[in-house]
Amino acid sequence: MQPAASADPLDPLPLIAGRQDSDSLTRIIFTPVWEKTRRGWWFLFLLGLAGTGLLTAAITVTFKEGIGSWGNNMPVAWAFGITDFVWWIGIGHAGTLISAILLLFQQKWRNSINRFAETMTLFAVMCAGMFPVLHLGRPWFAYWLVPYPNRMTIWPQFKSALPWDVVAVSTYFTVSLLFWYVGLVPDFASLRDASYSRLKRIVYGIFALGWRGSSRQWHHHKIAYLLLGGLATPLVVSVHTIVSFDFAISQLPGWHTTLFPPYFVAGAIFSGFAMVLTLIIPARRILGLEEIITLKHIDNMNKVVLATSMMVGYGYLMETFIGWYSADKYELFSVANRMFGPFAYMFWLLILCNVLAPQVFWSRKIRTNVVATWIVSILVNVGMWSERFVIVVVSLHRDFLPSSWAMYKPTWVDFGLLFGTISFFGTLFLLFLRFLPAISATETKELYKELSEEHAEATAA
Amino acid sequence: MSDWILGEFASEEKLLEAARELRAKGHAQVETYSPFPLRGASEAVGLRRSKIPALALFGGLSGATAAYLIQWFTNAVNWPINVGGRPPHSAPVFIPITFETGVLISAFFIFFGLWIILRLPQPYHPVFEVEAFRSASTDALWLSVESTNPSETEQLTNRLRGLGARQVSVVPEEP
Repeated sequence: MQPAASADPLDPLPLIAGRQDSDSLTRIIFTPVWEKTRRGWWFLFLLGLAGTGLLTAAITVTFKEGIGSWGNNMPVAWAFGITDFVWWIGIGHAGTLISAILLLFQQKWRNSINRFAETMTLFAVMCAGMFPVLHLGRPWFAYWLVPYPNRMTIWPQFKSALPWDVVAVSTYFTVSLLFWYVGLVPDFASLRDASYSRLKRIVYGIFALGWRGSSRQWHHHKIAYLLLGGLATPLVVSVHTIVSFDFAISQLPGWHTTLFPPYFVAGAIFSGFAMVLTLIIPARRILGLEEIITLKHIDNMNKVVLATSMMVGYGYLMETFIGWYSADKYELFSVANRMFGPFAYMFWLLILCNVLAPQVFWSRKIRTNVVATWIVSILVNVGMWSERFVIVVVSLHRDFLPSSWAMYKPTWVDFGLLFGTISFFGTLFLLFLRFLPAISATETKELYKELSEEHAEATAA
Repeated sequence: MSDWILGEFASEEKLLEAARELRAKGHAQVETYSPFPLRGASEAVGLRRSKIPALALFGGLSGATAAYLIQWFTNAVNWPINVGGRPPHSAPVFIPITFETGVLISAFFIFFGLWIILRLPQPYHPVFEVEAFRSASTDALWLSVESTNPSETEQLTNRLRGLGARQVSVVPEEP
């Protein structure tokens, strides 16, 4: 069995705390699904619905009035819409990293948090996917992006980064959804069998597809899950690379750089892990999952946050260095404008939140302190949004000719879309926590068995 | 049609041992059931390698090929567009969509292939008749074997007990 956390700092923290068995793990994981809806849940849910109402209002205005209702102008043709899009899609990447890359690397600590992170990915990509469509100006023609034979005898222009984006994001969403569902089916069967209300048995039974957990089913399921994980892995890298191409293949100073793809991917993982922490720290407490999502998980995630923070910091450094090394006066100006221009406060905010704040994670005490972690994770979310704002708006508002420069001022519709999608995301997440197990029961039991065997071997030796 | 005999086992070793034993005695229709995949279960019930990897490869290659051909046909043949002086057939710019579509179609082949191979969704299965079998998805280990006549059913029930089953249930053939 698993030893309790010891005082020896060299002893690893346990991945599953306390003495457990399959039955007790099932109980811990399913209790939040069976128990009566709490008042706090209703409060947050109504708050989320109110915010979703704001989103609906903002979308209605956008559709009715057009992009003119946003703060966008010339030269700032891309502003909050693209900032929010890149921010949300980046958040999604941690889910795929945890579920796919850590699956391939056989990292045991992924098993208790992967469901949580994958769900976050799905909802974040849903939020992200709204923005390009809203930004079309004539969103009712969104289907023109699909190559279908039509009376106009024209085709989409595939040499532009924007159709790449459409394919990348829709593939990303679909593959994440399939991966998530394949992982959920055994848990649906477990929910079906553990529930004592007829309605629940029927509803969970439908989603379980008649899963029996037979050796034949596991035999094919295991390989399908692993392969979907294998496919999702290049997606983590490719999707944000393609998103960065939206900028990098243009000629604008501050965008036109080969640094963008790796720097975007690192930033995506950075912000995604921060969002997982923001959500998981209150959830593990409220849902009583502290024995399964232990301080070891928080510690490990904080290490990833620290590492990716350094990568992103290196990105900022290189951007500045290449700006100077290019000896191009527009590039030089763009670097100076970032640091000392009218939006300088956004730049210094991002340095503070993304580079300086995570440095506290060098201390193990802070890495295992949930309150401190939670605060830093929020700062990182803010910082990453600022980073995208700096990339999108600050690069655009002063481009080449001073005669075409302009300032940018967001409208209430811009803020409505940002806070509206945050609320929508929160609402979906609350529904997930209410109706589905936040942790994969199947994988936790498997992990527990492996850990027990390892421990037995270690004590026998 | 046949009777289904179900037995619950206390440990993985006993379960897999029982499955091997029954198969050695010539019962082909042996299945084990567990809340998570068991190491060695596929071998114990004699399963062959899964076809899913082959499906994934086929799906990926066909998706990527189709995506490249669509881009080439629409942008280089049917309606050539000059974008920034790039040649109409410009391979590097076609790569992102080719790759993503390959991944997408491969994922579809894995997903739908899995359910087709497993013949799911399947709302009814004889093992669901046994109330105690509900524990198979939470914490218990079960084994099922089919028999074709009453005397074999009787014999298998006893054999499962002999192999260490904690409880044995029979789902009789529909009358």
